[in-house]
Amino acid sequence: MTDQVDAYLEKDYAAGFTTDVESETLPPGLNEDVIRFISQKKGEPEWLLDWRLKAFNVWKEMSDPNWAQVNYPEINFQDVSYYSAPKSMEDKPKSLDEVDPELLETYEKLGIPLHEQAALAGVAVDAVFDSVSVATTFREKLAEAGVIFMPISEAVHEHPELVKKYLGSVVPQKDNFYSALNCAVFSDGSFVYIPKGVRCPMELSTYFRINEAKTGQFERTLIVADEGSHVSYLEGCTAPMRDENQLHAAVVELVALDNAEIKYSTVQNWYPGDKDGNGGIYNFVTKRGVCHTNAKISWTQVETGSAVTWKYPSCVLKGDNSVGEFYSVALTNNFQQADTGTKMIHLGKNTKSTIISKGISAGKSDQSYRGLVRMNPGAEGARNFTQCDSLLIGDKCGAHTFPYVESKNPSAVIEHEATTSKVSDDQMFLCQQRGIDPEKAISMIVNGFCREVFKELPMEFAVEAGKLLEVSLEGSVG
Amino acid sequence: MSEIISKAAELAKKIEGPEWLNSFRTLGLTQWQQAKWPTRKTEHWKYSSLRAFNENDFFATQVHRQGGDEQKLSSELFDIPGLNASRLVFVDGIYSEELSSDRYPLNVDIVFFSKAEGAHKEIISEYLGSAIDLEKNIFARFNTADLNEGVLIQIKQDQKVDQTVQIVHVSTKGESEFTAQQRVLVIAERHSESTIVEHFVSTEEIQNSFTNTATELILKDGSSLNHYRLNMEQENIVHVGNVSANLRANATLNSFVLGFGGKLKRIDFKVNHLGSGAHCEMAGVYLPKNKQHIDYHTCIDHQVPHCTSNEVFRGIMADESKAVFNGRIHIYPDAQKTYAEMSNKNLLLSHKAEINTKPELEIYADDVRCAHGATVSQIEEKALYYMQSRGISKKEAEVMLSFGFINELISGIKHGPIQNLLRPVLARQFSRDEELLKHII
Repeated sequence: MTDQVDAYLEKDYAAGFTTDVESETLPPGLNEDVIRFISQKKGEPEWLLDWRLKAFNVWKEMSDPNWAQVNYPEINFQDVSYYSAPKSMEDKPKSLDEVDPELLETYEKLGIPLHEQAALAGVAVDAVFDSVSVATTFREKLAEAGVIFMPISEAVHEHPELVKKYLGSVVPQKDNFYSALNCAVFSDGSFVYIPKGVRCPMELSTYFRINEAKTGQFERTLIVADEGSHVSYLEGCTAPMRDENQLHAAVVELVALDNAEIKYSTVQNWYPGDKDGNGGIYNFVTKRGVCHTNAKISWTQVETGSAVTWKYPSCVLKGDNSVGEFYSVALTNNFQQADTGTKMIHLGKNTKSTIISKGISAGKSDQSYRGLVRMNPGAEGARNFTQCDSLLIGDKCGAHTFPYVESKNPSAVIEHEATTSKVSDDQMFLCQQRGIDPEKAISMIVNGFCREVFKELPMEFAVEAGKLLEVSLEGSVG
Repeated sequence: MSEIISKAAELAKKIEGPEWLNSFRTLGLTQWQQAKWPTRKTEHWKYSSLRAFNENDFFATQVHRQGGDEQKLSSELFDIPGLNASRLVFVDGIYSEELSSDRYPLNVDIVFFSKAEGAHKEIISEYLGSAIDLEKNIFARFNTADLNEGVLIQIKQDQKVDQTVQIVHVSTKGESEFTAQQRVLVIAERHSESTIVEHFVSTEEIQNSFTNTATELILKDGSSLNHYRLNMEQENIVHVGNVSANLRANATLNSFVLGFGGKLKRIDFKVNHLGSGAHCEMAGVYLPKNKQHIDYHTCIDHQVPHCTSNEVFRGIMADESKAVFNGRIHIYPDAQKTYAEMSNKNLLLSHKAEINTKPELEIYADDVRCAHGATVSQIEEKALYYMQSRGISKKEAEVMLSFGFINELISGIKHGPIQNLLRPVLARQFSRDEELLKHII
């Protein structure tokens, strides 16, 4: 049984190829000139450059956070290249037909529908390749509904008032070490604005791809859902297999104004490193959303990639009756490490939050759930329910839970529960006795374990997520 | 080195004790001097402010070692009616022969460090400091640095001790602020059965001391120990306590913990499961009110396979009080077939009360069953309504429901006399009006 499982586990990382395009890449190093270069390259207005420089100065004063339950060699931030763009992007292509075919092929290989005619009905994609956005599909169709969906570098020019108003309003420059770094050097990302009362006619999606070696990716996503609007947004990511570790430090800001709803789903499949723990992406991401009155933000994530993950999608429930949700499946195998969770900050009355976190550790990996639920004095009648379950596969892995529960309001009700267990011999026996082979059995048990989260994912992602888990897990039980 | 640390270190250096304890003292002192004074950014002290040490000069020129006027103290302060107990009374950390029992059970050796000789000396040298984690507990370092006296309680092999050993710590008001330290080493030899009560009380006056205690419980193979820690002293006391236990194969530790709040009250529990088949059962109740603070940190370590632990803590926060609970279950690699559970429930009675709870799991073995749960809420409207509809006044219903919240744990106390002592004392925490308590007491 072990052999079968091992064979299954050893399945390669399918998205690990590199694309051979000529790139313009900044030499490694970080200083004010680099920031000025990036800003100039994007033709940014003065205020944004100042904003970046301010962040850079804050960053210089900060130190690398070390409280997470992860171990990795110290990162030399001067060894990273902060800007890389395919040369063919220099004169911006006007339509998909002008995009470098090599690039299109990359996305085709990854199964991302960039060709509009071939696209899965109803998904608009913004594809980000290293530091630039290469294509955004369905822009015109979305514009008809008044929805703005474009690379943030373009939004700065076309909708400066919106960008200026909301950029940094949820995750300020000095929020943390990596967000400050991102503020200083972010290169591209997606910008979404849904006007009042509009229900976005299709799913929006961004696909991030790191290609160039020795580069870091620092994208920035900003989604603003105006009063009474609704949007569902998907995010996916992959990177080639390389021996060195690459850095990914993104910031995602969500603003849900009164009565708006944002659903943000992620399937994170950055290169996790090989089975001996070499290479892989360091995924240090800050994601946060703010909910105004009656608004709702729902984070759903499936985390299977990255060598080290440090990520806490959070909700600030500012308005009365607002709702925050967090559904997560995190799977670590081999030498992967993940420290992930969420924060639910209840400020308004009758705010509600739900946290469902499922962690699966296999191989020699280590995984932690770290979460905070805070009821401020004004959170009258607020409610939280948290459930974190961990599943251990193999005796060399670790699963940890660090939930912080803080309450300053007696009418707030908080419930937290966590369990840790393994795929039990009984479960396996039962399945096998009914003629299901061990691998299938594990996959079934794990899928059942994650079901509560998978059912929250949009259809396209749910299929992908299920497959990903299967690939990542095969051979892990012996 | 922070000013407080160096001041305390100077003080510890002046303390003289038996020469054979010097190696402990030097170790404690060195580590204390290397310690970083905790701030709000120190994870272990995130929710508990050590402001009291800046406001009070606990480490003044000389440690208050004289004890109070013992004659004035009445044994009513710490008497547990009906309990067959032999008492060891310490007044501000100093042993009081007058207040203590004159006879101890035959199957228990009670030896003061300063008077230890021969075999006892060897036992103390071997086990002292073996359970405590100086790395994580800086106040245990200071306790060790200042070690000039302590008491060894050794329960003899294969003996069932019916008499309870009650260790009383009485705090009195000093002329100026001072520190009182206490060190207890309990060794339960193989297959022994015994009960230890650590009882903290104080006189009525407003207190001005800092109590720093360290208790080590060594449970050898097959031994069983009932342990009580009752922190019932007056609210002005600053108390930092440390209880560490080593459980060898098939040993059972049964612990009941009670804490009233104080200006700063912090108690750390560490239970190390070191032998297969060990079991730890822990129940705790904390009831801060007014502007009190209380902080319980527990860490249950499962280092070997086939051990079990069960931990239940309940807290009721009234007025402007603040409580902290941090419960950790740590399962080492290869500690397979471990069953560990923890539950922490909290009731907030007022808009200004606060609770910070953090149940943690750190697990490195796969064949284990671990669970923890934490809840925070207020008294349920429906329950109140139900009782009112049956003619019970709202106030009385509140008192009854609050008491009911902890009653399960009180009823679980194995020793009837301790239950009888605590029941009315705890009930009066919720109301002074006897009329409202008529259904409880």
